[in-house]
Amino acid sequence: MALDLSMFNRFAVNFQAGDIIFCEHEPGDNFYLIQSGRVQIVKIIDDLEKIIDILQPGELFGEMAILEEAPRSASAVALDTVKALEFNRENFEILMKGTPQIALKLLKLFTKRIYDQKRRFLILTLDDPQAKIADVFLMLSETQPVSDNSVNERTFMTTVEDIAHWAGISPSESKRILGHFAGQRRLEIFPDKIIVQNINDFARFVSSKRRSQVSE
Amino acid sequence: MPKAANYKTISIVYFKGDINEKIYILNNGRVSLNYNDIETGQEMHDLIKTGEFFGVKSAMGKYPREETAVVLQDSSMIAFSVAEFEQIVLQNTRIMIKMLKVFSNQLRRIHKQVRNLLKSGNDVVDPETGLFNIGEYYLKVSKQKQAVYALRRYLTYYPSGKHSAEASKLLDAAESGATPSFSTPPASSSREPGSDLSDVAKSYYNAVSLFSQEKFKEALSEFKKIIEDGADGEYEAKARYEIGRCYYNLQKYDVCIKHFTSLIQKYPKHPDIIDALYYVGKSYEGTGNKEKAAGFLKKIISMARDEAPIMRKAKKALKGLGG
Repeated sequence: MALDLSMFNRFAVNFQAGDIIFCEHEPGDNFYLIQSGRVQIVKIIDDLEKIIDILQPGELFGEMAILEEAPRSASAVALDTVKALEFNRENFEILMKGTPQIALKLLKLFTKRIYDQKRRFLILTLDDPQAKIADVFLMLSETQPVSDNSVNERTFMTTVEDIAHWAGISPSESKRILGHFAGQRRLEIFPDKIIVQNINDFARFVSSKRRSQVSE
Repeated sequence: MPKAANYKTISIVYFKGDINEKIYILNNGRVSLNYNDIETGQEMHDLIKTGEFFGVKSAMGKYPREETAVVLQDSSMIAFSVAEFEQIVLQNTRIMIKMLKVFSNQLRRIHKQVRNLLKSGNDVVDPETGLFNIGEYYLKVSKQKQAVYALRRYLTYYPSGKHSAEASKLLDAAESGATPSFSTPPASSSREPGSDLSDVAKSYYNAVSLFSQEKFKEALSEFKKIIEDGADGEYEAKARYEIGRCYYNLQKYDVCIKHFTSLIQKYPKHPDIIDALYYVGKSYEGTGNKEKAAGFLKKIISMARDEAPIMRKAKKALKGLGG
């Protein structure tokens, strides 16, 4: 979808490769639409800079600033020379009216975010940390299509830190629980992926925990 | 093609858990969306008004229906595919903006709920310490450029914060550490070379750090020294600007006005020119000359980009004048 964004040239900003566009924990009031170059979304977790996402031209980022002036939850760093359009809450409606395609993009992004957050909420309402972690795998499995439903093994391109983030548990505690699962041969941990032996086993485990919580 | 569909009382348009890419608009009748509140588990019934879309989020997001759509009385509706729906809203931005508002409210609510749950379970660092830690981290891994950004931001937002003295020190280190690493590789011609420049930079940031600790008198004399020592164009202009800010904070309003007026004449293209106008306006306010103060603030509002922080500051200051 080629958009004519020339009327927004006065909102254009440029960054050199390596420039921080905004920094985690900084108060945020702008959001961006990439016109050229790529942007890395990174977070520093346990003294390591972790890449959460790499965004391409045409993608939006920092959009949570439209909703609230909450601190940024991650940093955005220019990966190449980046040209982007910078908007804020005040000129948001002008943008939406001028280019409905961007509004539609945002609508889709919000749809996905609402679902992700609801799902995350469900994980966090579990009392048992083991069940929380098992439920993170269920969530990941729901969003990745499977070719053969009769196979119970699932491979997740994820890390201990990711799992910890979603489960709302410290990375060290998550590591311990994942180690415990690995000891029971319910999963295998690799540097770049985790293989769950039987996703249905986790599904049963989580739903029994959830039921017992409701009946308490 | 959009399809019209009629439903009898107590029939179901879709069940919770269904995967279905249709989006509906209710023409007439009564439809209720039934679901359990994720926080309380309580059963909820949201009534759809005629002319309202439903099934939008799950269809667009391609995830299972989150609610059961029950027909309460004979109803007619039109079913759209996602692509058809997109065509409609693209041509009708009012609908889309309304939906964005609804979705953003939902997102804000769920975010808050998630945050509350996280807060009770985990130690979350406050943003002030978080920002400082990031500057510290980047310096530790020798990413000076990023360290400088984070630390400068820290000092901008928390000039007298609990880590400000430490942040100034680290910023010094990051700034001075940056120079040698730029002069070693042969292909580094784009950066300012020369070691005397780094001395100027050092004293400049030393003065900035004094300023951030609200030691305005000391900062003022440091900035003056930079100019006396014959700094180059860039640092001279920067230091002159900071001198004006020092005067303002020392409440020497008349001197501040004079200083910035001559700065604006000398450097009409100074990057901080609008901020300079702001301090002139605020200084007039300090001397009790509200009329002049308002004049300068209005000028800023006419000049600044809508989204510039100075815009908000100027508007706020103007409001404070009662004008």
